[in-house]
Amino acid sequence: MNLSYLFAELSRRPGRTSSAILSVALGVALFVSLQAYASGYRQAARAPLAEIGADIAAQRQGDVPEAFQGIVFPHSTAPIHRDEISAARRLPGVEAVGEAVLFWDFEPDQFLVVLGLDPTSTTGPGRLIMAVTAGRFLAPSERGTTVADATFAREKGLRLGEVVPIAGQPFTLVGLVDTSRAGQVANANLYIPLADAQALSYAAPNVRAVHDFRADDANILFIRANQAQVDSVIAAVTNLMGKKAIVSSARSFSQVLGEAYRLVDRFGWLVGLAGLLVGIAALLRAMTANLWERRRDIGVMRAIGWRRKDIMGQLAGEAVTLALVGVLVGLVLAAFVTLVLSQTSVTVPVPWELSPTPHFLPGGAQAMAVTIRLPAQISLAAALSALGLALAGSAVLGLGLAGRAARIKPAEVLRSE
Amino acid sequence: MNDVLQTENLDKSFGSVKAVQDVSLTIAAGEFVAIMGRSGSGKTTLLQLLAGLESPTSGRILFEGQDISHLDEDGLALWRREHVGLVFQAFHLIPTLSAVENVAFPLYPTSIQSKERRQRALARLEQVGLAQRAGHRPGELSGGEQQRVAIARALVNRPSLILADEPTGNLDSQSSAEVMELFRNLNREEGVAVVVVTHDSDVAAVTDRLIEMKDGRIVKHDSQAQRMPAYVVKEER
Repeated sequence: MNLSYLFAELSRRPGRTSSAILSVALGVALFVSLQAYASGYRQAARAPLAEIGADIAAQRQGDVPEAFQGIVFPHSTAPIHRDEISAARRLPGVEAVGEAVLFWDFEPDQFLVVLGLDPTSTTGPGRLIMAVTAGRFLAPSERGTTVADATFAREKGLRLGEVVPIAGQPFTLVGLVDTSRAGQVANANLYIPLADAQALSYAAPNVRAVHDFRADDANILFIRANQAQVDSVIAAVTNLMGKKAIVSSARSFSQVLGEAYRLVDRFGWLVGLAGLLVGIAALLRAMTANLWERRRDIGVMRAIGWRRKDIMGQLAGEAVTLALVGVLVGLVLAAFVTLVLSQTSVTVPVPWELSPTPHFLPGGAQAMAVTIRLPAQISLAAALSALGLALAGSAVLGLGLAGRAARIKPAEVLRSE
Repeated sequence: MNDVLQTENLDKSFGSVKAVQDVSLTIAAGEFVAIMGRSGSGKTTLLQLLAGLESPTSGRILFEGQDISHLDEDGLALWRREHVGLVFQAFHLIPTLSAVENVAFPLYPTSIQSKERRQRALARLEQVGLAQRAGHRPGELSGGEQQRVAIARALVNRPSLILADEPTGNLDSQSSAEVMELFRNLNREEGVAVVVVTHDSDVAAVTDRLIEMKDGRIVKHDSQAQRMPAYVVKEER
């Protein structure tokens, strides 16, 4: 392949060259941008759980409490027994399990959403340690302390050091946390040590009336899984917890993201691929027209001593160069589109199972959602796929066309002049 | 004098049309020959056979004693690249390339470095009097200039044989005379054999030998001594 001839052909036929490059570029931009859009939504769907360091939240559906007095469990958080928690920890692909006890406390003068957590666990609401805005977080092994959601504390006029009653038991307020920094999953008014939550629940008549809650049980598990095995872990956890299992993951969030996302997620790859193929087809069309125009030139090349393989190499080189430049321009276009997409916000609704507030209380029926910037990013795999497809497509088609062109009989095309 | 090209009983048919029939001729090294005839006489087909652009239906073509009739298309292309310069009536320059790039064009698929290609092309352009037009593209050159670029292109691979098909067919008389004078000088100074196909007797008159064709056959051989060169006559007036 002669580069100066290649450069002359491409640069001195600017209309044809730019239209061929633009065709490929638009196909590549569509392909890569749609992947970035879909991947942005996939990342967004992971965000609510990822914010608390988990990939999966596991719960179990239970019975509705007989009476809403004192401590009761929401009906989506029936007990998960210790042997089940241990079995979950041993599942292949499970990297960490955080456990929690969520309960409602109906008192004559107040209603509380309380979450018992292990402050040493970085999987699950233990992560709230990073969201402390005043005072301190719960310490390992301590009992009788609580931290409050900062908004709740402000509304109730709570101050650090104050004793807050939970189910009649005194808890000292040691800190405030900004739960908005940790997403809307496992959101509560007050956070207490897991052991306290287990003890209170075990002693609660309205819990024991409908649930077989044992002293060391939990009712929500937060599971971090190997990213390559998330799906198999979901299946295994669902199987472990039985038919009443409620297993939430990025997929649960993506299912409530809306039609636009579902279309892009399901058909984005296909539409992008179709766009890319149309781009390559347009390149093929431009090349075919180009070779028809250059039949005489190709005849001259044969006449003055270019072998068939010299001509094929030259013409295929032109096709591949056009495709390569088209891909690069397309990637720049895709980067621009992705930048624009990443400036938009996406609201991720939280499935009702993870909502800690009873729907029959004021505000409880409000849909919870996490709003974040769409984390759209060009994926290396999509960029390399576009590059590979465009180069392979143009090389194969270019060689095919060039092979036909190189069979031109010089005597015929030169005689016809 | 050694023979550069020889044909033996050359025939070429297109279907039932016999374009060339039983042509046996010899071109000696350094000879300047015209093949003349009316339209349809088979002279262009004969030139294409000599150039390996068409394959003969029967007969042989020998180049410097070697039979080239059996070579495949790529073999013939290589043979042309190494030994033959071609000049066409319609110039057939590559429109996207400058004059110097067009001259260097036959060398593009070789291993010759681009700097040397350019130097050789510039030297040939200077030889045809167009060094100052090296950067111009064909569309910016006159017909005569384009044909001189085409002649420079035919010379760039230092051929021992130039085959020219109606090289003055698209030129005015002034340019035609200049082009034929160029061929004459190249023939004398470099000893390159030149075969010109023409229907123009003035053009044929410049050559050393005239081969006349009719209905695909050679009907007459004339040497220079037997003819009065037309351009010489014009100059003497």
